[in-house]
Amino acid sequence: MRMGPQAFNASRLIQDRLTRTQSTGIREMVFAFRRSQRPVRPLPNECRNLLLCACAATLFMTACSRPPDSSRTVTIEPEISPQPARIGPVVVTLRLADHAAKAVTGAHIALEADMSHAGMAPVLGEAKEIEPGRYQAHLTFGMAGDWVILLQITLPGGQNFEHQIEVRGVRPN
Amino acid sequence: MNPSSIPALEAPEPPPFDLMRVAGLGRLFRWRYARPLLQSPLLIISAVVIFDGLFGPSLAPKNLATTLSWLHFRGVLVLVLLCCGNVFCLACPFMLVRQAARRLFRPRFDWPRPLRNKWLSVALFVLILFTYELFDLWSSPWWTACLILAYFSAVLVVDGLFKHASFCKFVCPIGQFNFVASTLSPFEIKVRDQEVCTRCHTLDCIRGRREPVSDLVIIRGCELALFQPRKVGNMDCTFCLDCVHACPHDNVGVLSRLPGTELLTDPIRSGIGYFSRRKDLAGLAIVFTFGALLNAFGMVSPAYAVESWLARMLHVSHEAPVLGVIFTFFLVLAPVLLLGIAAWSTRAWAGNQRPLPPLMVRYAYGLVPLGFGMWLAHYGFHFLTGLYTIIPVTQRALASLGWPLLGEPRWNLIGLPANIVQVIQIGFLLLGFAGSLAVIYCLAEDDSPSRPLRAFIPWATVACVLWIASLWLMFQPMEMRATLLSG
Repeated sequence: MRMGPQAFNASRLIQDRLTRTQSTGIREMVFAFRRSQRPVRPLPNECRNLLLCACAATLFMTACSRPPDSSRTVTIEPEISPQPARIGPVVVTLRLADHAAKAVTGAHIALEADMSHAGMAPVLGEAKEIEPGRYQAHLTFGMAGDWVILLQITLPGGQNFEHQIEVRGVRPN
Repeated sequence: MNPSSIPALEAPEPPPFDLMRVAGLGRLFRWRYARPLLQSPLLIISAVVIFDGLFGPSLAPKNLATTLSWLHFRGVLVLVLLCCGNVFCLACPFMLVRQAARRLFRPRFDWPRPLRNKWLSVALFVLILFTYELFDLWSSPWWTACLILAYFSAVLVVDGLFKHASFCKFVCPIGQFNFVASTLSPFEIKVRDQEVCTRCHTLDCIRGRREPVSDLVIIRGCELALFQPRKVGNMDCTFCLDCVHACPHDNVGVLSRLPGTELLTDPIRSGIGYFSRRKDLAGLAIVFTFGALLNAFGMVSPAYAVESWLARMLHVSHEAPVLGVIFTFFLVLAPVLLLGIAAWSTRAWAGNQRPLPPLMVRYAYGLVPLGFGMWLAHYGFHFLTGLYTIIPVTQRALASLGWPLLGEPRWNLIGLPANIVQVIQIGFLLLGFAGSLAVIYCLAEDDSPSRPLRAFIPWATVACVLWIASLWLMFQPMEMRATLLSG
């Protein structure tokens, strides 16, 4: 289960609400159990400090979101065979096109396949252009599970960017 | 005089090795700020891990949060527990933050009486194992960082409200893991000379050292209610050194012992009572042991076949109910079945008249070495096979901050070859199995002195079944999937 856009939206919503709450002044907030004709009793200082810390921690956490990927001037269509991927050699084919759907030729693509778990050996490779805008690389998956292929793409103009391809559920032989 | 009437002179037992007598180390441990000194590096590492988890790369092998937490921390933790003792609790960064926070919040409440047991922490331990699988914490730096932040928050809330070390004793799942595992550690904090304690009237080790006039505590006593002269073993001991600092007679040491000895006997223990009467502690021992198998099971290929089959049977597409069934099987059904059959056999065969539940509680501790062996084998594998990955990940983290002090990341640095580590794993499993057999035999001798073998065999069979299951798991092909039901 990964952080989906809904989760980010939810965290932003919480953040907005907290910000609004803070703007009204947290000191003026009265936390008390209100009953009829009973005076409102403020919380002790310790609890107030505790709540302030909790709010600060929530703000810190909910403020953390990554900026959107700005390197998407090139579209990448990956294809992996065999499907579903299995332990052993796989062929990764990439089709690169610019925003006008024109094939991007002469790019240099380095591949690094990592498992989704830390501590496993990465698999490195390089893609060759087999026809205009179409690149192919050979990798060997050494273990079943989820893999992520990191593409380091250098365009003919020298522009660099990274792209990730998730290969889920590589199967055992 | 008949020589046979002269009692044989027994060689005096050599005094245990005392870490406090090691030059430099003793002085460090006696220093009042030893704990903060040890906690500070871990606090800095925690901050770095949280920062990288939240703002660093989302890919687990490239991030300090996942690499440090799930490879290095866990591996070092179990190895240090095996070779020394509960050093992590001693250097716990959460407690450093708590100490600082307690300058702001003076806790007012006592921990609620109904919760003064291990059931809450057992539930939280299970919850962490469950969320680990459900949210694939090992593959998500963000979630890992959130978990650590949640841990800090929980410490602040619990110990901000409740007195003493309520979080450590009744809540902390990592602490409970350490408490159980440290029963097999070669060192314990213990009084050197009981006679000195007998003569002591101030009881500073539990009450804290106080100013004579104002009676204000100037050096804290044990916050976990362990009275040193009656403390047995490492259960509930965080190695915080408070008793070492408080004792006016310098009578508390870090003494060596045979690992697991505290599981062999059942004396009354300060702050704990009798092991044999603590169902919650036995529950913790069971979750510790069976949880070790469960946690390893989540990483091998057959797990996914079972999960897919369960999903089809239950007509569900979400992971949670499937995991719920698997957890219920591993942590409830299998233990009740195995321990129940063994207890019933002990009653029938060895003539033990105790009811089944107390028998199950009594012998559950015998499985702890086996469980620890499995944790060692599992965490040791990840740690050793990914030993050097900390180098490129640190290089990457520094480079991303604009300080490429260590050069370009060398991603080809991984760790020890898996075939070598596998031999070490088998060694850990064998060690755990042998330890369990020894503990079970001692318990059987104590329990059924006339027919110890008959009491031993059913429990040894349970240990054997678990050991074979552990070995089988170790030889399964690994499969690390974050998506259980899609593949």
